[in-house]
Amino acid sequence: MELVLVPQRDPEQPAKHQLGPEHSPHSPLSIHDLTVAYDRRPVLWDVDLDVPSGKLVTIVGPNGAGKSTLLKAALGLVPKASGRIRVFGKTMKQQRSQVAYVPQRESVDWDFPISALDVVAMGRYGVLGWCRPVRRRQKEEALVALDRVGMADMAARQISQLSGGQQQRVFLARALAQDAQLFLMDEPLASVDAATEEAIIEVLRALRTEGRTVVVVHHDLQTVPDYFDHAILLNMRVVANGPVEEVFTPEALRQTYGGQLTILSEASERLARRSRVEHP
Amino acid sequence: MTPLNRFLACILALFTSQLVMAGGEPVLKIVTTTGMIKDVVQQVAGDRATVTCIMGEGVDPHLYQPTSADVRKVLGADMVFANGLKLEGRMTEVFEKSRSMGNEVVVITDRIDKSTCLESPDYPGEHDPHVWHDVTMWASGIPIIVEELSRIDPEGAEIYKENGEAYADRLNALHGYITWVIGTIPREQRVLITAHDAFGYFGRIYGIEVLGVQGITTESEAGISDINSMVDFIVDRKISAVFIESSVSERNVQALIEGASSRGHEVKVGGMLYSDSMGAPGTWEGTYEGMIEHNVNLMATSLGGTVPEGGFRGARTRAAEGS
Amino acid sequence: MMLATAGATWWEAFERALLLRDANTVWVVLGVLALGLASGSVGAFLVLRRRALTADAISHATLPGIAVAFMVMVGMGLAGKSMIGLLVGAYIAGLLAMAVIVLIQRTTRLKDDAAIGIVLSVFFGVGICMLSLIQQMPAGNAAGLESFIFGKAAAMLPGDALLIGIVSIIIMLTLAIFFKELGVLCFDESWAAARGWPVLALDFLLTGLVALVTVLAIQTVGLVLAIALLIIPASTALLWSRRLVVVVIGSALVGGFSAWLGAMLSATIPKLPTGPIIVLVCASLFFLSLFLGRRGVLPRWLGKRSLSRRVDRQHVLRACWEIIESSDEEDISMGDLLAKRSWSERELATVVERCMRAGTLQRVDGDIIRLTSEGKERARRVVRNHRLWEAYLVHHADIAPSHVDRDADAIEHILDEDLVKSLEQLLGASAGEVPRSPHAINGGGGAA
Repeated sequence: MELVLVPQRDPEQPAKHQLGPEHSPHSPLSIHDLTVAYDRRPVLWDVDLDVPSGKLVTIVGPNGAGKSTLLKAALGLVPKASGRIRVFGKTMKQQRSQVAYVPQRESVDWDFPISALDVVAMGRYGVLGWCRPVRRRQKEEALVALDRVGMADMAARQISQLSGGQQQRVFLARALAQDAQLFLMDEPLASVDAATEEAIIEVLRALRTEGRTVVVVHHDLQTVPDYFDHAILLNMRVVANGPVEEVFTPEALRQTYGGQLTILSEASERLARRSRVEHP
Repeated sequence: MTPLNRFLACILALFTSQLVMAGGEPVLKIVTTTGMIKDVVQQVAGDRATVTCIMGEGVDPHLYQPTSADVRKVLGADMVFANGLKLEGRMTEVFEKSRSMGNEVVVITDRIDKSTCLESPDYPGEHDPHVWHDVTMWASGIPIIVEELSRIDPEGAEIYKENGEAYADRLNALHGYITWVIGTIPREQRVLITAHDAFGYFGRIYGIEVLGVQGITTESEAGISDINSMVDFIVDRKISAVFIESSVSERNVQALIEGASSRGHEVKVGGMLYSDSMGAPGTWEGTYEGMIEHNVNLMATSLGGTVPEGGFRGARTRAAEGS
Repeated sequence: MMLATAGATWWEAFERALLLRDANTVWVVLGVLALGLASGSVGAFLVLRRRALTADAISHATLPGIAVAFMVMVGMGLAGKSMIGLLVGAYIAGLLAMAVIVLIQRTTRLKDDAAIGIVLSVFFGVGICMLSLIQQMPAGNAAGLESFIFGKAAAMLPGDALLIGIVSIIIMLTLAIFFKELGVLCFDESWAAARGWPVLALDFLLTGLVALVTVLAIQTVGLVLAIALLIIPASTALLWSRRLVVVVIGSALVGGFSAWLGAMLSATIPKLPTGPIIVLVCASLFFLSLFLGRRGVLPRWLGKRSLSRRVDRQHVLRACWEIIESSDEEDISMGDLLAKRSWSERELATVVERCMRAGTLQRVDGDIIRLTSEGKERARRVVRNHRLWEAYLVHHADIAPSHVDRDADAIEHILDEDLVKSLEQLLGASAGEVPRSPHAINGGGGAA
């Protein structure tokens, strides 16, 4: 039983929503020929992909495959050696307000003196603009977002007192508060409890229903077919990119993960069996 | 004179002048800490020594950090003269090192009877080092210098003795001048307020009340209470002038002036006194006599006294002409 | 010769200071108060951004800036010690130091601490050399430049106080205007960059404010102690609150109060230099807060102790309940209790004593005790909670650790109702009653 966040049409800003990205024919995230290198060591090599609109997309690959880097490069957080990024047909700079980024949990100092509500309210800063103070309206909008992730009663709690799963939900609520059309999430389900994982997936599915696009860097191959529609297999280069049923084959996984055959082939067998059961 | 005779006379003159000059070649290399000491030693040694000082014009000896060039000078000198009584606070190690290497370091105040020295009010057991402001005390250092120079250069002993006596006479005249001039300042105005307590000996011998904001050494920092007390004093006693010093920051004095002004009492800056160092080398104020005279004249004119025409030198010439 | 405040008692001297009877006191108080407020508020962001030590490098770097400014002004024939000129030199040098630190971090493999250390010592060393050179310069009055090292708060002039006041207000206004932007910068830099906030520019803004505060501070507490006024108030505020706004304002207030009190003390007691006293007052507030503050050492220790005692009492009550649950008697012997857990006779006796004082147990006879009616009620709750938690732990092992709060008075305060009902069902109990022990259900000993 969730409340759906209705984007507030701000009377001062009608223009922004008229030709919004939800009407745009372009792919939410278009990456062409992306190469990223740290000190001449390539991390991403000739990555070329279009993220399909309105789907739950996952990026999987071994450690060091460049999954986080892919998101960061798309956002312009790391310099790229070459490549072009388009968001709904325009540059990232023009579309930043439509992209919600949920970074890895470790990137933040959780001892910072701030409440969950105030963190989520940051999602509304972009709408507020420079130098305007946070008012009650932003806090109410933040509360709605917190409620959506089931944390409304923890609004006043200090983030240092939250569990890992709760912290992750706060991050997600912040992204929700942004009311963006494209969500880029870096390992949101890493080290969270099962209940939180379920809650988060529910929210993501609701976003999909609303027509938004969600790209998730995911760590657990087992759950990929359950959660996601579309998968990108990445190991410095794109090994495979397509609907999960098509792309999640033992062969593709072997190419992506290289050495660890037995574990992965088991995993892929199980997946294959499940998909046969679901789609006879 | 025939051209040949003229030529021979010139050659003779050249030789004799060389002989005369040879008698005046510097024999000693002396290094002193302050410029005041340098002046005295130079007066006593005459041409027989090149005297240099480490702390020049505008330098604060309490805070002075010797450079390695200074240390080399000290170690390379035939004799070093220092003031002592912790004036050259940062140089004690250098002196010890110099002595351990066999060099001569003479600390002048070590040889003065300590009972004549002022006790420091801030540091019990320590003495006020600013002895040069009492001209008689400073003159009492002359025999010490004569003795020490004669010891390492016995050949010049006569010259040193002569120079010493002549200089002592001059200082005596200066002392007389100061006593007279200070005497012209109205009694209630005989108060000297400066940035730090440098003029204790001056006050004692010439009968003028002396107060410093910062205490005996510029290494200490004044507190608000000290500033307020000083402002109280200035306003209560209706002091008309306070003095800044060449080697000490004038901020404290400025604060006093503003403070007094806020209470409706205008006190002005009487001028800049030479407290711990002399004026520019080559000028009259760059000598010990000039330094002291400048101070005295400034005090007199600012506090309501009179300065004779031409100052000390004018009075001296008139006295010489008169006799 | 120093004047003692002629004839005044301590109280009179303090009163005179408090009521600002002297103009000099007023100027100093205004100047240091403004400085304390500004440095406290900037310091909050500095500490939260974890850049505290770069401020130390900036303050030490002001020395060569002052020296160069002096030489330039003298070279141009101006009064060598125009305060504005010297402070501009100090500011530029401070920013330069920051730029060099960033450069070192970006182009070498050196991290924060090494870069800061290098810049701090090199700049300061160059400054000292320059001062030494200036000492030898024949050009007039070079005296007093060293006063920036240790400050000269007591000699504050009305013009200085005005300058500090104006700049402090500008600083605090800037912080208020950019409050949320700086907050995001300090909390989550990468997310802020992803959202398009100009992180580099905001960092530069913060650095600029820090350098500005430093330049104000070097006139009062001196450059060696300037870092103290930036860091200590913020650290103190963090011991009291965990809300950003409260921390920033609290930090400003701590800075301002320390400055004011330090000035009062310096105006009361002779020969007490103002700058160092302000820092000492500030440090004392910090240490007091460390022990007594809401997040301080003492409350935490007391809290732990109180918790562990409460847990001990709960153990005893639970043990008592379990004993009478399986017998039917009211009497409990100490021997039985002793066998229930691995506690020593003395420990048990102490806790039983405490329970008796709390009114939950009563001694019947020598070694025999009983639960009072209040004790029974308390024990009932404790046992019920405990058993439900145990069931929760068993059946939801993957998420339990983040939710289990054995200390909670009622499990319903933590878990939601439906979950509690389902746990009760698992254990075969109806709503609100004390279920059987999960161990019993799983085939351990026990109760019907």
